[in-house]
Amino acid sequence: MALDFRAVAHKSWRTIASIQTGVVLLILVVILAAAGTIVLQRPVTEPDEMQSAYSPQALRILDAVGMTDVFHAWWFLGLMLLVSLCITAASIDRFPNSWRFFSRPYKYPDESFRRASHPQKSVAIADEETGLVAAQRALHSLGFKPERVVREDHFGIFAERHRISEMAVYIVHASLLLIFFGTIVDGLWGWRGTLNLNEGQTSNIVELRDGSMRTLPFAIRCDSAGQENYKDGTPKKWWSNLAVVEGGQDVKKKEIVVNDPLLYSGIRFYQSSYGPNGKVDKFSLVATPSTGSGQTKEIALAVDDTVPLDADTTVRFAEFFPDYAVRDGQVYRKSNDLENPAAHLIVTSKRAGESNAKNFDVWFPPLEEVADNSKSPWQFHATDLKMGHFTGLQVSHEPGQWAVWSGVVLLGIGLAFVFYVVHMRFWAVPVCDPKTGKCSLWIGGSANRNRDAFEQRFNDLVASVEEGLKTIPSSSPREQVATVVAN
Amino acid sequence: MARAQAEQQQPTTGMTLIVMVGLAIAFLLLMAFLNVIKSGNVLSETNLLFATLIFYAGAGALYLGFGVTGTESYVKFASLATWLGLIANTAAVAHRWYEAGHAPFSSVYEMLLSFVWTLAVLTLVAEKKFGVKVIGTVTMPVAIVGVVLMQLLRTEVHPLVPALQSTWLHVHVTLAMLAYAACALSFALAMMFLIQDNMKTETFLAVTSASALAIYAGVVLTRFEKWGGLSLVAWDPERKSEVFLSRGVRLFVSVPDLGWLLLLTTLVVAAPLFLYLVSRYAKIVWYFRSLPARWADTFSMRGLGDAGATGAWIKIHPEPQNKEGWALLANRAVFLSILLQIMALVMFVVRANDARYPSLDADGLFPTSLAASPFILSGLVGGVFISLLYLLLLWRRPDLGRLLPSADDLDRITYKTICLAFPLLTLMIAAGAYWANQTWGSYWSWDPKETWAAITWLVYALYLHMRITRGWRGRRAAYFAIAGFAVVMFTFFGVTYLLPGLHAYA
Repeated sequence: MALDFRAVAHKSWRTIASIQTGVVLLILVVILAAAGTIVLQRPVTEPDEMQSAYSPQALRILDAVGMTDVFHAWWFLGLMLLVSLCITAASIDRFPNSWRFFSRPYKYPDESFRRASHPQKSVAIADEETGLVAAQRALHSLGFKPERVVREDHFGIFAERHRISEMAVYIVHASLLLIFFGTIVDGLWGWRGTLNLNEGQTSNIVELRDGSMRTLPFAIRCDSAGQENYKDGTPKKWWSNLAVVEGGQDVKKKEIVVNDPLLYSGIRFYQSSYGPNGKVDKFSLVATPSTGSGQTKEIALAVDDTVPLDADTTVRFAEFFPDYAVRDGQVYRKSNDLENPAAHLIVTSKRAGESNAKNFDVWFPPLEEVADNSKSPWQFHATDLKMGHFTGLQVSHEPGQWAVWSGVVLLGIGLAFVFYVVHMRFWAVPVCDPKTGKCSLWIGGSANRNRDAFEQRFNDLVASVEEGLKTIPSSSPREQVATVVAN
Repeated sequence: MARAQAEQQQPTTGMTLIVMVGLAIAFLLLMAFLNVIKSGNVLSETNLLFATLIFYAGAGALYLGFGVTGTESYVKFASLATWLGLIANTAAVAHRWYEAGHAPFSSVYEMLLSFVWTLAVLTLVAEKKFGVKVIGTVTMPVAIVGVVLMQLLRTEVHPLVPALQSTWLHVHVTLAMLAYAACALSFALAMMFLIQDNMKTETFLAVTSASALAIYAGVVLTRFEKWGGLSLVAWDPERKSEVFLSRGVRLFVSVPDLGWLLLLTTLVVAAPLFLYLVSRYAKIVWYFRSLPARWADTFSMRGLGDAGATGAWIKIHPEPQNKEGWALLANRAVFLSILLQIMALVMFVVRANDARYPSLDADGLFPTSLAASPFILSGLVGGVFISLLYLLLLWRRPDLGRLLPSADDLDRITYKTICLAFPLLTLMIAAGAYWANQTWGSYWSWDPKETWAAITWLVYALYLHMRITRGWRGRRAAYFAIAGFAVVMFTFFGVTYLLPGLHAYA
């Protein structure tokens, strides 16, 4: 092969792991996501609204390139995968270095490190041991746990805090990948839909976003539902009493409200709306015979109920219009809102000796064109109208959720470490000039962020060491070692 | 002239202003007290807000005085006034909270109440902790505008619709307020950095003029009606809400002739930018003609071009000088534009209640209300404010340089505020996602507000990566911080008003 495969692989790896690639990809995500908020999106827009907003040609082009559904387009998903890949590659690329740093802390600074290190300071000391003890005590008083480092012929003091901070950025990246993973799982295996139930109704069919139906392995029954209002009439609370029915038995019951869903076998049911379903639950009436003689009766009807009034007469609740309109002798349903209701009763009477039963149309209100209320053998007086209600449920199945939420928690922890936990290191090394025999204590420090605050801390340390040197009597080295061991 | 005045003031200890502001506060408090005696209602929210306004206004005047004259003694009194205002503000927030039974985040009014509170706290923190004394010059006027807007938007306690009754909502909105306030602070600090980094005053002229122009152009382009009217949203005084024709479609009413005034103002506001461009015309042309040579230089690093091409090109084509005369004229134009902007603002406030619209259900005509156009109003006030800040810079630049911390410090503090803002943004998005999951059954639905919050997060993530791994410092980092805040502003205002979506509550 003309191309060196390994060179190409190496170069690709370098490219994908580089910060430039990451930046370019993130900028692309920003641009495309912004475009997705400006161009109308199919999933949330009515088709005719789309057509009135764009010309047919423009719409065809937008549809073809996926701009009308950016967030579900294959190229957006591909871009997100590339971003994940880039994060992974960049992390893997940089990890070994950080790991070495993390697992094998640099405890004894050699001469070249000492020369380049910042901040650093040299303090004159009488002998090596005095300096080491002073440094040890000063670090102790700052809350560190200093350790004595012995290399062949050198001594040093090393102290550090929050080494984990070096790993924080990997925690952040890993948590982002976890979140991406969760959303991808949800995108592939999750679904969302709606389920509207009337009080008392049981159903196991959910209408999905795309209009298709999904049958659940269990059914949901709505035992009751209701609404509480504020004084001014705006809704305060919607609630539904739901029961899960599986194998003919109620296996779970819960009252759900907005923000508190029912969870059963990974599927969640949310209260999302509540309202009249346009159907009558109970229509209460008082019936009196037109002749004036006979018993007054109280009856209650649901639509299609038939009730006997006397031996020859029955009444049937034939139709109900929550919001009616009359045109050309016909009654129409204008809407499902209980705005302008009309009820249609049919009184059927069959007197003895008559061959045919007679029907009378009784209307509430008495609509002139269609009603023959006055001819009816019974007169009615409406006392109460109870409407039925439906409860609107959102149903969703999101198998990737656990990954998303654990990713979010991890992200919070990671960011807290990235920004607020500083890896601090201090070294103290006594350096003696073999010619003059004069000794000094080299003190150095390093922090991976917030360096100005660290320098303040470093200066405090140096001051503390200098203070300590005054109080430690320069005694023989042997004794000093003993006290240190005792410490 | 104003410069001469300011210089005369400097040798004095500045007692005049303190005494004047003190007297004004005392007088207004007395008036308020008389009013309280008359109405017999001491601890109402109106009174608390009025006290807040009085103290913040006093603090704002003193901070401005400090910004202009650099008299140190102003700051002490200014922060005292801010403290007093903050106490009144806290009481107003608490009162609202108690009255409503939920944290005050559910309407634009309540959000403003909380925002102003956060702003005052941050001002005091920035002043006491970081020693950025001049910050009040910027934040206090913003707080004042906030309180004034609240007076216009004052609403009854609105009960919460079911979807908003969640602790997570409060967590989400609190975090959003804190994060956005931190972003605003980083923006102000980045601007100060640019001042300290010796960015040319003319550049600030161009930027301020362009921002004001953007505001006016936005208003005129979306609201200018035929024959010079300005369309405003109809306001239902009974229900205290905008009038909707159908879901999401607002009823617009035209205020005659106001459009012409705004159009004229737009032109005058554009003038400084135009004059600036004219003064730099030769240089801009020169720069574009030099681009091929610059590119050759850039590519020479990869062995493609011709190193030193730029130098050779510049030798033949010397850099032209700016025409300073035009730049001076541009500064005059800023002055003129401020006068016209103030006039437009006053006319807008006066005329906004004038338009009449026929009611949809009842007979008769209803007037429009200023309360229906809070964003145009804040845009106009913002325009005046931006231009005034430029004048402050133009006249008092050396003093500002002395008052502000060093460029290095500002750079570092900007970074620190973003280090604060970024985790807050993250938690804000997470809390919002959790709430959405509880309410709509989905933690992420690519609604425009969500998407823009994610974009904001990404922009700041880019900033952090550039800073940490590429070592971006100084100007580039400052530009990034400014761009980040622009995205925040768009997320906060732009998305609500320009893009449709689920976040219809705020």
